[in-house]
Amino acid sequence: MELDPNVLHVAIRWLHVAAMATAFGGAITVLALSTKPGPDSANAVLSVAIRYEWMFWAAAGVLAMTGIGNLAAFGAALLGPATNWGATFVLKLGSVLTLVVLSLPRTLAVARMSSTGGSARASVTTVRNLYGATTATFAVILALAVWLAHG
Amino acid sequence: MKLVTWSLATFHATAFVLAIVLFAYSRNALGAGLSGLNTFVGLGLFVALWATTYVTTSRALKGLDLISSARDRGVYPRRTLRWGAANGMSFLAILGMVALVAAIANTRPGQVTSGILVPALFIAPIALVVSAAVGGAVGALFGIIDLGLFALAGLSGGEAEPTA
Repeated sequence: MELDPNVLHVAIRWLHVAAMATAFGGAITVLALSTKPGPDSANAVLSVAIRYEWMFWAAAGVLAMTGIGNLAAFGAALLGPATNWGATFVLKLGSVLTLVVLSLPRTLAVARMSSTGGSARASVTTVRNLYGATTATFAVILALAVWLAHG
Repeated sequence: MKLVTWSLATFHATAFVLAIVLFAYSRNALGAGLSGLNTFVGLGLFVALWATTYVTTSRALKGLDLISSARDRGVYPRRTLRWGAANGMSFLAILGMVALVAAIANTRPGQVTSGILVPALFIAPIALVVSAAVGGAVGALFGIIDLGLFALAGLSGGEAEPTA
């Protein structure tokens, strides 16, 4: 029995959206936790951030893998880079690459803060700035993705 | 499994693939390449690259503490060349096995030895040398990029002493 290619493409899209929801939703959660932390919750915020970093990298791998699967579904009908759709796609891909590259120092900074301790208040401020930037970049990528899908 | 290993390995695999896709698409060469690729094979190859990159990154980081030791961060780029080459060869071996099985499945039994196995035997050593060179170069490039990103994360100074 042969698998219907449409079922496969829907499954890949579902996985892509689920990974994006995990990565974006997780970044918003850590940002929200670090925005107005309680007096004794700095270590808890760092602990959640560390767990998020594990999930983020799993989601990044799944997003890259399924993103290429989504592109393959277009086949020869994939619009070229000279079109409006193509220019927006290049912008989205560039934003994703930038997010991936700048996420490594974020992960390492969180791991460093977690392993060395230091001022809890300063750590929470750093976490808030890091996840604020991550959330903003995700929002831009999501806006570009919505435009590509429905624009 | 350590977070630094997991993040570095996934960073290398995803950034490498994204950079290739961005380069190919901007030169209008992506559609033709992807349309000839079976979806399951494409997903499987990415998982294979992710797995070999994780294993080789894990070996490259063996015994090193990149977070706390400046000396270990100095040793790391030299290892990326060697383990990048190992990653290139490992991925090619998987790619070669998939291609070999697909070719054998689509060839008449009487022609498998002369048409597939003998040419593969001649091509394999050359392909392994090329994949080691490409893998080593990509590994060394990532070693340099990683050093810059370590510095951006505040890991450029001397030994970080625990303060708590």
